[in-house]
Formats: sequence, structure tokens, C-alpha cells
Amino acid sequence: MTSLALTVRETLRYRGAIGQWSWVLHRLTGVGVVLFLALHVIDTSWAVFYPELYVKAIAAYQSPIFTLGEFGLVFAVVYHAFNGLRIILFDYKPELWRHQSQAAVGVLILTLLVLAPVFLGMLSHVIDFYVTEQAIAGDKFMDVVVFSILEQLPFIAGFVGVLAAAIVLAALFSLVKGEGGARGKYPHASPVERFWWSFMRVSGFLILPLVFGHLALMHVVQGVFDITAAQEVAGTLATNGTIGAVPSAVEFVYHRWSYAAGGVFIWRAYDLCLLVLVTLHGFNGLRYVLTDYASFNDFARRTSVALCTVIAAVLLAVGAAALFVPLEKDVIHEAMAATAEIYELRGEEIPAELQAYLSGDQ
Amino acid sequence: MDVTFKIRRKNPDVPGLEKPYWQEFVLADVDPTDRVLEMLHRIKWEQDGSLSLRRSCAHGVCGSDAMRINGVNRLACKMLIRDVGEKVQIEPILGMPVIKDLIVDMEPFFDHYKQVMPFFVNDDPAPADGRERLQTQADRELFDDSTKCILCACCTTACPSFWANGHYVGPAAIVQAHRFIFDTRDQAGQERLNILSEPNGVWRCRTIFNCTPACPRDIEVTRAIGEVKLAIRKGRTAGIIQPSEVH
Repeated sequence: MTSLALTVRETLRYRGAIGQWSWVLHRLTGVGVVLFLALHVIDTSWAVFYPELYVKAIAAYQSPIFTLGEFGLVFAVVYHAFNGLRIILFDYKPELWRHQSQAAVGVLILTLLVLAPVFLGMLSHVIDFYVTEQAIAGDKFMDVVVFSILEQLPFIAGFVGVLAAAIVLAALFSLVKGEGGARGKYPHASPVERFWWSFMRVSGFLILPLVFGHLALMHVVQGVFDITAAQEVAGTLATNGTIGAVPSAVEFVYHRWSYAAGGVFIWRAYDLCLLVLVTLHGFNGLRYVLTDYASFNDFARRTSVALCTVIAAVLLAVGAAALFVPLEKDVIHEAMAATAEIYELRGEEIPAELQAYLSGDQ
Repeated sequence: MDVTFKIRRKNPDVPGLEKPYWQEFVLADVDPTDRVLEMLHRIKWEQDGSLSLRRSCAHGVCGSDAMRINGVNRLACKMLIRDVGEKVQIEPILGMPVIKDLIVDMEPFFDHYKQVMPFFVNDDPAPADGRERLQTQADRELFDDSTKCILCACCTTACPSFWANGHYVGPAAIVQAHRFIFDTRDQAGQERLNILSEPNGVWRCRTIFNCTPACPRDIEVTRAIGEVKLAIRKGRTAGIIQPSEVH
């Protein structure tokens, strides 16, 4: 902690040039995105494994706190992507370093240029949501906010569990391995760090089109508000069939992942590529950040590494499981009851179609 | 003109002054062309003899008077009053233990320096005429920039990665390694690359670019680190260094 406190204080006090602030922003945006990623992979898997939880999670994401968070997320992804390109450029072409501060300014300008239309597009979804019949009843507003926070409790519990697992792993590792290598006298070359250095740059480059495509489809063309209202899924064709009279987030995911073009589930393949690259890139990045400040102590350093490894492994396993499991129509039925609960929470009438569906079901 | 100096001080021998604190001194009759180092001398000689700092040659060659001046690492002997203004803030460089006032313990810095084998290695017998080992001007040019380092620690103590983690070998040691890694006459290049590919070697560099403007010798520090990274990644030293663009 001392090293973190010192670095934060002195980074604020040292009059470094713009490169220093690019680095600060790169770290903050990176950590922000990786935290969101953990949330996002787990709850998207619920669409398959726990449909009623997924419906509630999406309802939470439609609440005002998460709307603000979504704008922050999109900023973070876009800035991190462009600044990442800047870092890649000067790492592979160090002789161009004289242009690095111009490039840092360029990254900021490019980020703003891209975000302006994107934020307008996202804002139009928000306005639609609050102006149309979907608006939350005034006296239910706080209920929705409290509900959205409570919905996150399982994640906090999960994180505590993972942290405990990481500490146990680090302790076991220390027992087996003894004093760590970080303080050693450079015993031998480490191909591991060389691999990760290259991986961060190559994966960063590959992620860029994937994540921009994902953001465009799932946050701009169709936002989190459309996922419970849309009759069609962007990026799929009508041959897939349309969503029923009562749209739900689960059915949206069902349609998206069932869509096959030429016998290939293209969105499952797309999401799998994104999952693997982003999880590895994100949690190796988190390992960089944590170990930078934990290197004063072997145990703290090992716990940081174990933490990143365990979370990444869990996310890859859960995410891949959700993508590979065959989808059953049952999940849609399960989602309907939860959808009715959400209408009640938000103080709205349950639509006649949903009532008909639920009574027909029983 | 009058110039105010705000100096970060610490004196482990005097009760009450063991913790770092700020002290202000006002100097009269200061010329814009006076050097900061001379003004520190005046404070020490005219106002407070206990003010402690390192300096040797006082002409930007020995590298002993690195300090943080107005928030950035500089050599006090190379800074003029007109560069720093009428209010000057001076602190010791960051990342190593402060011994007294502006003097820090440089041992961790030199430990990293020693680890990269900063000496010429060539076990072949000397040429028949018993004189120097020749190389072409183009080969000499490759490491010309990194020969300029005076080990003042301005770059290493400007690096946020080093502030966070004192085990990181740091920019200065990498520049020193670069000087020998890219010397075509040297035979221990691969060994140095192995040393620097350790987790606390070059990979802790996050390409922040704080080191380059901190260098009082205008060494292209971040570039040198980048070239060492590429040499490790490609497993060779030939063809890594590209000619500089004209500017």
C-alpha cells in the first residue's frame, strides 16, 4: 500500500509531460473496463443458466446509475483502445518517439470525435426510454435504485470468495516455492514476460475491431434498453424468426446466439473470440497494475497474480460454457415470470400479452 | 531581484527535524543568469550552513546534483534562475531513501547499474598491433547516444514504475546496458538481454516517457529502452536500431 500511496501522491505532484497523464488514464480506464468485464461475462452467462437472474440484471442495468456507468464504460474502452495503439506504435517504432506527445493529444481528440456521435446515439436510447411508456413511476424510482445495487451483492460475495482462494493459492505456492524470484539476482531470462508483452500488443490490436463492433451493435445501434423491447436482433436476419409478442432480454440473447449463417453460429464465434482475447488482455493488464504496487512483498505479489489468474479462469470457463451449451426454448418461459416481477417493481401495469402468456402457461 | 527558495529538508540528527519538512529562504540580488546550484551555495554559506546537498564538478558532467526543481528532475548546476522563475521549489529525487535534506542513498540505483554488467566484455586476444579494436563509424553511431549517460539518476527517479517498485532495474541501468548491447565489439550482449528480460527488467517499462525529458544530457532514454525490448523480443541486436529522422 505504501508504494501505491506514494506513487499516486507523487504522480500528482511530479510535473511530468502529457505522457504521464496518458499513462494514468490508460490504467484507470483499463481497470474500469476489466471490472465491468467480470460483471458482464458472469451475468450474460445467466441468460443461459439462470434466465430469471438475467432478466433482473438487465433491469438493474436499465437504472440510472448504470446508465451513467455505461457512458463511462464506452469512454474508457474508446480511450484505452486509441491510447493502446499509441503505445504499440512507439514500442515497435521507438525511433519515432519525438511525436509521442502529439500522438497523446491526437488520442484525446480522436476519442472525443468518436464519442460525440456515439454518445448522441446512446443518449437517444436513454431519452426514448424515459419519455416513452417505459419510464419508471416517480415513487418507485428509489426502489429501482436500491434493487440495482442489491442485485450486485452476489458479485461482492463472489469477489470475496475469489480473493480468499487467491490468498490460499499464494500461501500454498509460497510453501512450495519459498522466497520469491522477484528479489532474486536475475537468475535467468524469463520468456514468460516477453510473451505477455507481445501478447498485450497483438491482442490489443486484434481486440480493437471486435470490441468496436460489439459496442456499436450492443450499445449504440441497440442499447441496453432495446434488449427488453426489440423485436429484431441487430446483426441477424429475419430467417431466424422474430421475437415473440412479449420481448425479454433472455429471448434477445437466445435469438442472437441461435443465429446461424451458413451453418456457423457467427455471434457465438464472435463472442468467443472477444471473450478469450479480452479476458486474457484484461487480467494480464490487471496483473501488471497490481504487481507494480505489490512488489514490496512476495506474498502480496503472489496473491495479486493468483487473484488475476483465478478470476480469468472462472470467467473463461463460465463464458465458454454459456457459449457452448445448446440453447433450450425453456429459458424464455423462465424469463417471463421474472419480467412480470420487474414490471411490478417499476410500478407499471403488466402488459396484457404477458398476462395472457403467464396465465396460459399455468 | 529577490528569489524565494522553498526547500524540502530533513535532518536525522536533530530531534524534531527527522521528518521531512519545508523551509523557505529568500535571496536578494539574484541575477537571471545565476545558476540554481550557486543559489543553493549562497543559502548554505550566507543563511544556513546545515543545508546539505551533493555536488562535485558543478558543470553538468559529474551528475551528482540531481534534484527535483519545480516539480521535475534537473541538475541544479544546469538550471538558470531565468528558467525557474522567482519562486523555486526544490526536493530530493524520488524513489530512494533520503539521508539528509537533498541527499539520497544512491546505493539501490548503483546496485541496478551493476546488475547489467556495465563494462566491455571481449575475451578475444587484442589485435596484432596491440592497439584498439576497430569498428566502423556506422557501428559506433548505434550506441553513441547511450554513451552520454552520467548516472545522475534523473531518469530513473522520474519513472512512476520505479517509484512503485524499487526492484525495477530502471531507465538509467537500461541505457547503460544499451551502450554495450549494441556495441558490435562486445560479446556479452545476450547475457545482458537475459538479465533485462527478467520480470523486473525492461518489461516494467510502461512507455510513459517521463524519463526522456528528465535527462540533462538529452539522451533518448525511452527510445533506448524500446530498442532493448525489441532486441529481446527478436533475439538479436542487428537491425534493431533504425536511423533517426531528421528534425
